[in-house]
Amino acid sequence: MTNHSIRRPGRPYTGAGLLGAVGRARHLGLVLALALLALVGLVTVPETFATTSNVVTVLALAATIGVITVGMTFVIIGGGIDLSVGAVMALASVWATTLATQSYGPMVMVICAVLVGTGAGLLSGFLISYGRMVPFIATLAMLVAARGLAERMSDRRTQLVQPGNSALVDLSSGRVLGLPPIVFVFAAVVVAGWVVLNRTTFGRRTYAVGGNPEAAKLAGIDVRRHTMLLYGLSGLCCGIAAVIIMARTTTGSSTHGDLYELDAIAAVIIGGTLLTGGRGTIGGSILGLLIFTLITNLFILNGLNTSDQLIAKGLIIVIAVLLQRRSLRSRT
Amino acid sequence: MSNPNGRDILLDCRDVSLTFGSVRALVDVSLTARRGEITALVGDNGAGKSTLVRCVSGIHRPDSGRILFDGEETAFHSPEDARDAGIETVHQNLALVEDLTVWQNLFLNREIVRRFGPVALLDRRAMQARAKRMVSALAVNVPEVRSRVRRLSGGQRQAVAICRATGFSSKLVIMDEPTAALGVQETARVEELIVRLRDEGHAVLLISHNFAQVMRLSQQVWVMRAGRRVGGRRTADTTGEEIVGLITGAIEN
Repeated sequence: MTNHSIRRPGRPYTGAGLLGAVGRARHLGLVLALALLALVGLVTVPETFATTSNVVTVLALAATIGVITVGMTFVIIGGGIDLSVGAVMALASVWATTLATQSYGPMVMVICAVLVGTGAGLLSGFLISYGRMVPFIATLAMLVAARGLAERMSDRRTQLVQPGNSALVDLSSGRVLGLPPIVFVFAAVVVAGWVVLNRTTFGRRTYAVGGNPEAAKLAGIDVRRHTMLLYGLSGLCCGIAAVIIMARTTTGSSTHGDLYELDAIAAVIIGGTLLTGGRGTIGGSILGLLIFTLITNLFILNGLNTSDQLIAKGLIIVIAVLLQRRSLRSRT
Repeated sequence: MSNPNGRDILLDCRDVSLTFGSVRALVDVSLTARRGEITALVGDNGAGKSTLVRCVSGIHRPDSGRILFDGEETAFHSPEDARDAGIETVHQNLALVEDLTVWQNLFLNREIVRRFGPVALLDRRAMQARAKRMVSALAVNVPEVRSRVRRLSGGQRQAVAICRATGFSSKLVIMDEPTAALGVQETARVEELIVRLRDEGHAVLLISHNFAQVMRLSQQVWVMRAGRRVGGRRTADTTGEEIVGLITGAIEN
């Protein structure tokens, strides 16, 4: 077993409330990285970086993938992976912006997007849990099929949100307390995700199913059903993300969300969630996502090459995983 | 029920059979376990001990035969059903989630929640307090309830698993090789725990490969071979040699 003397007691307890300070320390590296990036922004582009409009831009940019990242965190903690998120979001946006759906008004468009997302997620989940397919394969199939269906439905054309449904667009262009409403949607999803993961039996089961499925089963947890619900939850988040992207771009399109799955997975991994499941936090994922978004923002503001931006992101993933492995070794 | 102690019988398996494909895992197995006794179940690997235990604890459903518990016929569809009836199992692999803490494992899938309308939130404080009381009753190298199971020693893990099995007003505690992975000292402590369970009135069904342990702890021994129950003895009336003979088939019942 492990050597008792090198254990550092009191460090990594799962979301223990009274150990808030400890929890923050766990994310200290991520916060420092974020602060460093902000500093870079302040130094290199002082006149544009710390402006209200830029903060709004960053948060609005983070909102779409951020909502998806919350769902992805659940799936990965539960021992799976969801490659279909970007495609499912695109499909939901297309379905919600067809003229038929739009004729019922913005409320129905929102409901449609959420239902399409959840339905696609549950279908992937069903294939994985009851069809015993590997998550990677099942969600890869969903990725391809959802994009194809989105192209069929839209005839590969970008579908505009009709003027009569501009209430949807107000979610992005309007301001509440100086921020677009989609930022509050993002915040609400994060808070709800945190509560569900840390304060409900659903969250506890998610850790158990990802950490030791056999033990979860012996404890009486319906592992298959729970796994299916996790992908349903991820799909639900894609549906909400579809609403956000329709508001931001005023369109529904089969090309929305290209490669979002990679950004979301990267954010979750940088945030300290284990790809093997059983361990991870929402807070870490969101910090990971903000780091990614801030890098994009800095590259754009500095007028740098987007290819270099991808290289930088790749490096950050590698560094994050290497650091994670070191801290894991000291924990166990 | 000619047995004068018949009413003390808590678990009564009658002609339990189970087949996996072409493998006859259990063939007409009948045995009993009594309150206030440690009942040992012995046999070679693959004799069907764990399969029988899995039937009793609701993981498998027998193809035929009956399992009576506390005088009533059972039809468990899940481990939860068995648990609700008062049957707790300490599985061979302990069935703990290493990344969760001691208290989270103790309350896994039986969390205490507080309801706020449609929302049910975990009552962490109540669970931690109760977990602390549960583990402190062990008196064995008490683990801190907020530490992750990953950090515990083998004996502490076993203690947590036993604690989970006994802390929720169970009647029958099934233990599958509880000391197989433990050192001498830890084994002694876990044996103390098992004896204490018996003295508190639990029925204990003990699966063990350790004959010295079986002879030391149990009051009744059942022997299984190739899916069949091939013998049963009161521990006081038998010897280790006879049990070994029954296990290997050198002695026919």
